[in-house]
Amino acid sequence: MSLVAGLDVGSTTTKLVLMESSQILSAEVSPTGPSCRKTAENLLSAALKSSGRDRSEIRRTVSTGYGRRLIDFSDRTVSEITANARGATWLHNGAVPIGTIIDVGGQDSKVISLDESGSVVNFGMNDKCAAGTGRFLEVTARVLEIDLDQLGELSLRANKALEISSVCTVFAESEIVSLISQGESVENIAAALHRSIARRVSDLVASVGLREAVFYDGGPALNRGLVVALEKELGVSLIVPDSPQVVTAVGAALIASELP
Amino acid sequence: MSECCSKKDVTIKAGDPCSPPEGPCQSAAAPTEKAGECPLTWFKNMIPNCLEYARAAKADGKRIVGILCEYTPRELIMAADGVPVCLCGGSAKTIPVAEEHLPANLCPLIKSTYGYHAQRSNPFLEMADLVVAETTCDGKKKMYELMAESRPMYVLELPQRENDRDALDHWTSELHRFRAELEGRFGLQVTNDKIREAIHVMNRERALRRALAELMKANSPPLTGRQLLGLKSSISGIPADFKQYENALKIFGNGVRTADLSSRVRVLMTGVPVVHGAERVVDIIEDHGGVIVCMENCTGLKPILDDVDAEANDPIRALAEKYYRLHCSVMTRNDRRMECLRRLAAEYRAQCVIELVWQACLTYDVESYRVKKLAEKELGIPYLRIETDYSPSDSARIAVRVEALFETVRGGGRGGSGCGRV
Repeated sequence: MSLVAGLDVGSTTTKLVLMESSQILSAEVSPTGPSCRKTAENLLSAALKSSGRDRSEIRRTVSTGYGRRLIDFSDRTVSEITANARGATWLHNGAVPIGTIIDVGGQDSKVISLDESGSVVNFGMNDKCAAGTGRFLEVTARVLEIDLDQLGELSLRANKALEISSVCTVFAESEIVSLISQGESVENIAAALHRSIARRVSDLVASVGLREAVFYDGGPALNRGLVVALEKELGVSLIVPDSPQVVTAVGAALIASELP
Repeated sequence: MSECCSKKDVTIKAGDPCSPPEGPCQSAAAPTEKAGECPLTWFKNMIPNCLEYARAAKADGKRIVGILCEYTPRELIMAADGVPVCLCGGSAKTIPVAEEHLPANLCPLIKSTYGYHAQRSNPFLEMADLVVAETTCDGKKKMYELMAESRPMYVLELPQRENDRDALDHWTSELHRFRAELEGRFGLQVTNDKIREAIHVMNRERALRRALAELMKANSPPLTGRQLLGLKSSISGIPADFKQYENALKIFGNGVRTADLSSRVRVLMTGVPVVHGAERVVDIIEDHGGVIVCMENCTGLKPILDDVDAEANDPIRALAEKYYRLHCSVMTRNDRRMECLRRLAAEYRAQCVIELVWQACLTYDVESYRVKKLAEKELGIPYLRIETDYSPSDSARIAVRVEALFETVRGGGRGGSGCGRV
């Protein structure tokens, strides 16, 4: 297989993967920003540079994600659900094939159910709401005045189970403010937040149906606290790939490699 | 979501019932130039046509009667020299006004209809001598009370138990009372003969529309679902419309196609009505590789599947029997809908079921669980439920689901394995 590119233009970050002969040559991630076209161009330049290749060598490009149709140099678009399934089954090397993919993204969460051959049989997405998504963590990290990437670790040091009952991000924010004013520790509040997202995501899992093995990807899968909270809520262990953010872009690149 | 990525990747059409959305007709127009007008063009002007018809009828001494539900028998209105016109609102623009009186968490169809009322911006409603409402859902029922403060209104009480003799008797007596109401209000006689005459007209209309819908059974459907949806009228029984239905049957029944749709994913659409102006989800489905071969809802096949026995001794009873059988989600248990979906899925060879639920439409929302089970477990085809309202803010998100559904039907982008499920 010749050089191909997979591009996942997400609501929060854009991911680009260059592949050749079933090898990932380069995987780049950058905030999507106000112009996803420009971001995609920059990522492509960076990926070509780091792998020492030339743009003219790219045979096919497939784009996915919310901005998929805005990428001029893409040959085909595919939904992130199909691309995610492709990437996950390719990356997974466990004995039990993937039955369920949980993808917590920047602005939505998806649960994808696969059959033994890795084909999508069913999927669910959350509706018009940031609860149960990465956005929820972003907003709440800001209220707690801590870095997003510290939030997960902090939550693992909790010593008290607090309750954040609201599923709405906006109302949850005011619940956090009142917990702070009651003198609750940041660690305990962070743990409650992760439980809140995990509950929301597990509701979605229940509506689609849970089948092991369970693969967990998307940017927020980098957050250890959320992995632990989700495993506890679902009662199963999750397979988290090394680079959970680029799984869908890998899937897009794989689909690109099959294009004539 | 960034500004760049929020650019919609689907075409959203104007949601104003008074400016009907564009529909491609040119390609089909050619073979019928001599007949003057292509049926698609004719019905594209449906609202102006209806306005002209209603104004002329009114000037001629006829009564304009607004209706808001397919349970209302148009035949009785026509037998009372009335012109039945559908008033269901499909515009997002009238919703903010409605929310001054109504709760935000209410179905957009109810809010839009009420908004037209509050703004006095639906010309048909302003012309109406009477509005006939019904007790099909709690939201509508209570909204009608507010509308009735300033409009002449008559409410039909619809019983909600399926296959029940007492319920049918009650519905029959409701239609008798409705006849008496029309007679008293308009000062005329609604004779059995006049009702039978109206039944003939409505049967003819249903048969024509049904025949058009059945053309979608073809491997390569002659029309898109959106185009078929446009081939109907807010006012029933307009002779010029009948000519155009016949015309459309001639054209599209004889091999003319508006596009090659043979490779599209065949969709059975069900759920809430897609009223004029609120066709956004239909457009999203057909802009992303689908063709709606069958629409099992109040704006599709549901109300035109059964005719009324025009020869019955008691035409009121015959009407009651037809309309009571409509399988709206207010009925309990609504097994008839499941039977209908089974049959239509087979007849139209649907590859997936997409259910549309207007936000806060409780009965369709709850019943969607049964439809999902029917599609997935019994019919063995994928099911997608889309819950939305009239605002286009979630179009991109709906598009992702629809695309993913079609990729699933086609074998999940894994290349050429045909149908991934089943």
